[in-house]
Amino acid sequence: MRRLAAGLAIAVALAALPSWATNQYQVHLATLIGVYWVLIAGLNLVVGYSGQLSIGHVGLLAIGAYVYAVLAGTWDWPPLLALAASGAAGGLCGLLLGLPSLRLPGFYFAMATLAFSLIVAELSLAMGSVTGGGTGLAVPGFPAPFDTPGGLYWLVLGIAGIVTLLTWNVASRMWGLALIAIRDSPVAASAAGISIFRAKLTVFVFSGVTAGLAGALFAALQSYITPDTFAFDIGLFFFVCIIIGGRGSILGPFLGTVVLTALPEVVAPLAKLGNFFYGALLLVVVLVIPEGIGHLVEIAAARIARRRRHESHVVQPDLPRLAAALARGPAA
Amino acid sequence: MLSVIVSGLAVGAVYVITALIYNLMYSTSKVLSVTTGHICMLGGVFGAWFTTVLGWPVLPALLGAVAIGTLFGVVTELVAVRRVLARSDEHLWLLSTLALATMTQQAVGLWWGTEPRRFPRVIPQDFSHGAADQKFWLPIGVMVVAALGLELFYRRTMWGKLFQATSEDAFAARARGISTDRVRMMSYAISGALGGLGGFAAGQLTFAYFALGLTLTLNGFIAIAVGGLGSSVGALVGGLALGLLSAFATYLFGGEFQQTIAVGLLMLVLLIRPEGLFGARGVRAV
Amino acid sequence: MTALQAQAVSKHFGGIRALDQVSLTLRPGEVHGLIGPNGSGKTTMLNLLSGYYTKDEGVILLNSAPIDAASVRHRARLGIARTFQKPRLLETLSVLDNAMVGAWRDASSSFLSAALALPFVTRREAALRERARELVLGVGLGHAMHRRASLLEHAEQRFLEIARALAARPRFLLLDEPAGGLTVAEIGHLEAVVRTVRDAGIGVLLVEHHTDFVFRVCSVVTTLDRGRIIAQGTPDVVRNDAEVNRVYLGA
Repeated sequence: MRRLAAGLAIAVALAALPSWATNQYQVHLATLIGVYWVLIAGLNLVVGYSGQLSIGHVGLLAIGAYVYAVLAGTWDWPPLLALAASGAAGGLCGLLLGLPSLRLPGFYFAMATLAFSLIVAELSLAMGSVTGGGTGLAVPGFPAPFDTPGGLYWLVLGIAGIVTLLTWNVASRMWGLALIAIRDSPVAASAAGISIFRAKLTVFVFSGVTAGLAGALFAALQSYITPDTFAFDIGLFFFVCIIIGGRGSILGPFLGTVVLTALPEVVAPLAKLGNFFYGALLLVVVLVIPEGIGHLVEIAAARIARRRRHESHVVQPDLPRLAAALARGPAA
Repeated sequence: MLSVIVSGLAVGAVYVITALIYNLMYSTSKVLSVTTGHICMLGGVFGAWFTTVLGWPVLPALLGAVAIGTLFGVVTELVAVRRVLARSDEHLWLLSTLALATMTQQAVGLWWGTEPRRFPRVIPQDFSHGAADQKFWLPIGVMVVAALGLELFYRRTMWGKLFQATSEDAFAARARGISTDRVRMMSYAISGALGGLGGFAAGQLTFAYFALGLTLTLNGFIAIAVGGLGSSVGALVGGLALGLLSAFATYLFGGEFQQTIAVGLLMLVLLIRPEGLFGARGVRAV
Repeated sequence: MTALQAQAVSKHFGGIRALDQVSLTLRPGEVHGLIGPNGSGKTTMLNLLSGYYTKDEGVILLNSAPIDAASVRHRARLGIARTFQKPRLLETLSVLDNAMVGAWRDASSSFLSAALALPFVTRREAALRERARELVLGVGLGHAMHRRASLLEHAEQRFLEIARALAARPRFLLLDEPAGGLTVAEIGHLEAVVRTVRDAGIGVLLVEHHTDFVFRVCSVVTTLDRGRIIAQGTPDVVRNDAEVNRVYLGA
């Protein structure tokens, strides 16, 4: 109950942001964080939970952005319909990318996603008649009430909220456990009857849908896109947010996204260093706390708990209980 | 047509050199380092810096580029590989080498600039030689020397045999008193030197460009994946095939779909022979 | 016949015959011991039965139907569960969550229904969690229910592996050296657990080096040496077999 109240309070505070923000730029930044989070929340199931190191999700972001720009702009579709189409296109491309690459070992998969993002960049440049080539495309915004900076922020906030809820539902249930099993011990996962490839593909397609949606929102926020908008660096940025935040957590990567998006805006020298800063951060995290910064809190909590009581390690079977549990059927 | 073939071979030679470095590092550490292409990039950038900015003659500049490459190889081993191998998580080396590669690329971008810069002539030659231009033959020459040299090194020298022993069974090698840490360090140093040399030799072809590293990391990887991880012949065949394919694709369809076609080749080979053309089938252990 | 059977199964690695024409039958409600010196092919047999290796000759039958083509995952779904010689726990998860993973088959919810938190998913998973809890308590890990698996000691890890395998509601349970590294008292607990599992109608294959434990708890014992069966029968028969004593028991 207390958790629900806290959640509601946060939701209200976030929804009211356009009214308490002191300038338009803050609203823009908050919207950008939301857009990134829509993608990262989905990618988190792939990277943080199932352990598939995709460094090329920027390709899916670009596809969503171009689909939205072309459908809503060139073809005059209603923007919200084009937004849905972007999500579908992202999911479809995720399927096409995942089918051949998710069976490959880790480094091969990472390289396949890198190659995918480079191919998307190459094609968006080459197919000038559709994408505007190097010149790029102007992107229409959303209709009222989403046609102001505050309105777009609400739209993004709503979608980000829904995506967060969906990923939280997945992560906190059997699916989340299965994905972690795939990440940490494929042998144990298959022994438990988990279909590793299908599970990986499912979350990958889901991450494609959220990346496609994020692409459309991103395009509308930027209002003009070129192939340069979707440099490989952004794909790396998404990935780093998750690794730094901590694998197997939702809050960690969320904080990672907020801090890493906002930090360069607040601390100007960091913006100049750009990727160097993200790379250095990633290196430090990998070498010092490979489970991510979010894990530090957990370790501290465990330490305190251990100090409080001496932990027992004595195994003492309760046979009648075991017999009763074995006699139970599937899901009571 | 001749110029298409020669430029394809030359680009392929750069991929072969990158692929050989992948193999060399992999043999002693079982790590595929994301920094592989960045070693060559550093060779090119520093070669250009030594010659055009500092005004060094060719030979000292070449030695300087090799030294920088060697240093970077050693740093890669110390920072991104050694500490991570002590832990068992197989994903960590991917993250640590990716981090180091990103830092290197961005640092070079900030210092050297993000535009490709010209690499000077290594041997006096004017620009009217077409297919005989040194920018094609230098990387091809280095590729031949590197491939032969590595083969001799593996077969004839004590260090080469230590590499092979470590590659086949690191536990057994350690049991026989071989310091696998030193062997690994040595292989990364040699890899760095080779990358520095290759990057220098290919400078006129690739230009001194900060983003070259990632391209080479990817295409060198495609070469080993096509040819088969751990095989020198595979690296040669995979790299040259990829170079020729790109050259002909550019000749026929223009340069716009180069990466798409390269990845198409990779997918095709992986579908038919997942272990690569000359690779050994891995044995799965439970 | 309701049984997990290997019939004249052979397996070689390179030139080495790891298993040579080995047959054995594991019946429900029976504990079948598989003993022999190191490298005699015990674990290879377990890997063949659970699907990690494919046999070179012979046939593996589940309830008289060949299952050679079935993958590890498929066999798990058919009711064959196993534990590992080196425990393979999910270290970042709690003990309860580790056991819960075993119930994946019964959860059988689609990604979409999980994402939407449909009521039937929530209900079903709550019931499975309750059952996993009982299993963890049953094997004796109640004291560590919410502890991270990485903090467990060796014996606790072994019992948790068993709880996870049982969460899959298997008909056959394959245990790979479950007593390895356990104290005498812990082996006693393990024996009680194995008997309880057997009494629940589950067939248990016990690959083990602690022969005292094997002879106490098994009704049939198969002894392997260099990939061949040298003795098969009741504990008494096997214990008194001259060949078994010569190559293995070393009496």
